[in-house]
Amino acid sequence: MLEARGLTKRYGPFLALDRVDFHLRRGEILGYLGPNGSGKSTTVNLVVGLIEPTAGSLWLDGRPVSDDPIAYRRRIGYVPEEPHLYTHLTATEYLMLVGRLRGLGEQTLIEKVPALLRLLLLWDSHYATMTAYSKGMRQRVLLAAALLHNPDLLVLDEPFSGLDVTAGLLFRTLLQLFAANDRMVLFSTHRFDIVQQLCSRVLILARGRIAAQHEVASFRDAAMPSLEDVFVRATGQDDFTPVARQILDVMQLV
Amino acid sequence: MTARAEPGEDPRAFRTLTSHFLHALFDFGILSEAAADSFKRLLVSSIGAFVATGLFLTRVYAGRYEALRGGASPEPYRRAVLGDDLLLIGLPMLLVAFVTLLISDSLFPDERDFRILGPLPVRRTTVFAAKLAALLIFTASFIVIVHLALVPLKLLTSFSRWSPHSVVWRLITWIIAGGAASTFAVLAIAALVGTLVLVLSRSRLQSLTAIMRSAAFAVLVVSVPFVFRLPTLGAAVANGSTWLTFVPPVWFLGLERTLVGDANPWFARLATIAVAVAAVAVGSVAIAYAVLFRHFERLILRATKAPRGFRTEGARARVRLPPPFRAVYQFTAATLRRSQLHQGVLVGISACGAGLVINRLAGVNAGWLLAGGAAHAALTGAALWMPFVLMCACGVALRAALALPMEYRANWIFRLTEADATRLDQLCGVERLVAIYVVGVPVAISSPLLWLALGSNAAIAVPVVVLIGFVFVHAVLLHWRRIPFTCSYLPGKRFLAHTLVLATIAYSLFTIIAVALVRTAMSDARRAVIIIAALAIVAAVLRRRRRAVWTVTPLMFEDELPEYPLQLQL
Repeated sequence: MLEARGLTKRYGPFLALDRVDFHLRRGEILGYLGPNGSGKSTTVNLVVGLIEPTAGSLWLDGRPVSDDPIAYRRRIGYVPEEPHLYTHLTATEYLMLVGRLRGLGEQTLIEKVPALLRLLLLWDSHYATMTAYSKGMRQRVLLAAALLHNPDLLVLDEPFSGLDVTAGLLFRTLLQLFAANDRMVLFSTHRFDIVQQLCSRVLILARGRIAAQHEVASFRDAAMPSLEDVFVRATGQDDFTPVARQILDVMQLV
Repeated sequence: MTARAEPGEDPRAFRTLTSHFLHALFDFGILSEAAADSFKRLLVSSIGAFVATGLFLTRVYAGRYEALRGGASPEPYRRAVLGDDLLLIGLPMLLVAFVTLLISDSLFPDERDFRILGPLPVRRTTVFAAKLAALLIFTASFIVIVHLALVPLKLLTSFSRWSPHSVVWRLITWIIAGGAASTFAVLAIAALVGTLVLVLSRSRLQSLTAIMRSAAFAVLVVSVPFVFRLPTLGAAVANGSTWLTFVPPVWFLGLERTLVGDANPWFARLATIAVAVAAVAVGSVAIAYAVLFRHFERLILRATKAPRGFRTEGARARVRLPPPFRAVYQFTAATLRRSQLHQGVLVGISACGAGLVINRLAGVNAGWLLAGGAAHAALTGAALWMPFVLMCACGVALRAALALPMEYRANWIFRLTEADATRLDQLCGVERLVAIYVVGVPVAISSPLLWLALGSNAAIAVPVVVLIGFVFVHAVLLHWRRIPFTCSYLPGKRFLAHTLVLATIAYSLFTIIAVALVRTAMSDARRAVIIIAALAIVAAVLRRRRRAVWTVTPLMFEDELPEYPLQLQL
């Protein structure tokens, strides 16, 4: 189980994350929702170890991550929000690079990389550098890179952006099977529909704090408020009509 | 140049796009906002450097022309002017060619322009016209600046009682011929790039353009010493040496002389060549633009083909090396192979070393083979000096190329996988590459000459050179804590003059001491053993120390300013 205990991150005077507590059980896909600037990306960066918390800690299977951060990082796979890749490399070269940085042997990589590229429908373009790839193709390369070392925990930051319908469906099924295999998925997104289809639990973040958390199953009960209602209430963004009107007014300025 | 707006197109579109393309000429995609500002400052200071160089050359030539003015006959003046006029045409040509090569990625509208501007209500004519206008503005400004910097020297060469032409007329004809020569340099490179864009498939375009650019860059750098030798060609020009018809600046000198009123048929023939090659270059660029304009979608969006003989990297990966070592080594090699910018920096600076070597070798009389004596001593000196000059140039070039970032934000994968246990292997990948390029390449290039000049003594000289190279690797990797291309970059961190002075002192000391060591080793077998043993120990100790530091020091992903002497501990 992954646990965040009082996770806090401060950038100078700005408090990006304020004493956030959550846990992610094995077999679970945890949705992490929040408006822009709520601290989602900060949480993701803390969880994958790209930044250090100002206060608080992360625990994995009852041990603080700070005891052995390298061992922890070996157990996570990460798909960032923006497809930042070395696009002058081919997909094969990039996956070989990631695999070697993760310490995988050559023979393993020679078997795994082409197999993953074929399954993720990238094989036809495997000889081309990724400069020619669409955003969806780059997302698939990133997913392959995240899965290459057989991680325990997948941290996904908007992984569905740019994906076509087929790849989206494949991703969804893949994540469900991955989690069902006693592993964990932290899923940061803006999309309610995907959270409802995929996640078992959802955390809603607002202004750097956990504003609400719910079992996703509860939203299937027609008598209960929808995820969207809960989100709007939790984040304090209850009426967008005035803003929408203002946008239309500005649009019509000559 | 203006483009008429189509109905529905913003009349300011042309101006806006021209301004955008002008700014984009310097968008290398590697600089952060702070670094871009720093780069702009560097550009402005380089204009100052041109002006200063022009004034410096004038100062250098002042004494010479004073003497020529007082001479008894006009012939020495005539020959000196021919040579110096050649320099005044060749130098701007070279500088303009350098800058055009630097921006050669932006010479034609590309896929990015197509994708971004395609959905906007802007005609293709406007896009092409704006691109061309931006190029014209930039190249014309640069040509003007370079020529302005050389005006004092031109005036100096023109004020003489032996000059048969008026100063103003000489100045005007020089501006016409020099401008034409520099424009030809721009067009020649544009024609080359245009041809590649039209002919190559997308998959090959990137790599072949990178190779073409690096090769052209190397040729330009190697030609620097030749350009500075142009003033010595006055007599050859006056005599109409046939081989000069293969030297581009000479064509435009012919044009200048013809315009100024020189009736010599040799100059008329050169002028004809100048006009013909300029027409061919203009025609080629016009055709490239026209074809690209008519078939833009087809040419830019053509399918990517599998390169012939393509193999996945995995198929080649058989060597037993630690995976992190292989990761960094392959990543670095692939980036240097494909990135035009990094390859350009590497080849360009390395070619400076090659230029210095060629310049020195050109001064050695090859008659030593028959005569022996002094010429042989000169060749021995050049042969001993050569590997160390190449080491210096290759070292600076490789370090500069590795320090420039590539897709900076993609470095998260290196940050995420950094560990004390694997860092050493990763940095050893860099060390291996540095050793190959900074020691292996110079030694391989220099060895034949060393054997030719030193005979059996080369058996002692080569190991000493190799060991000195391994010690020098430590200088190249001093304070190095980066995975290549993953750290941000701040250009112009130190005062340029300060860096140049330090580099010159370091270079002089290194080459003098290194050559002295080789000479001493060759003088006596016992000394050779002591020197080889001492160098081997020093190289091993430095290597061990470097590796120990790498094991405990974290990698660097953010470039830092050198030091902050103004920080006060209050």
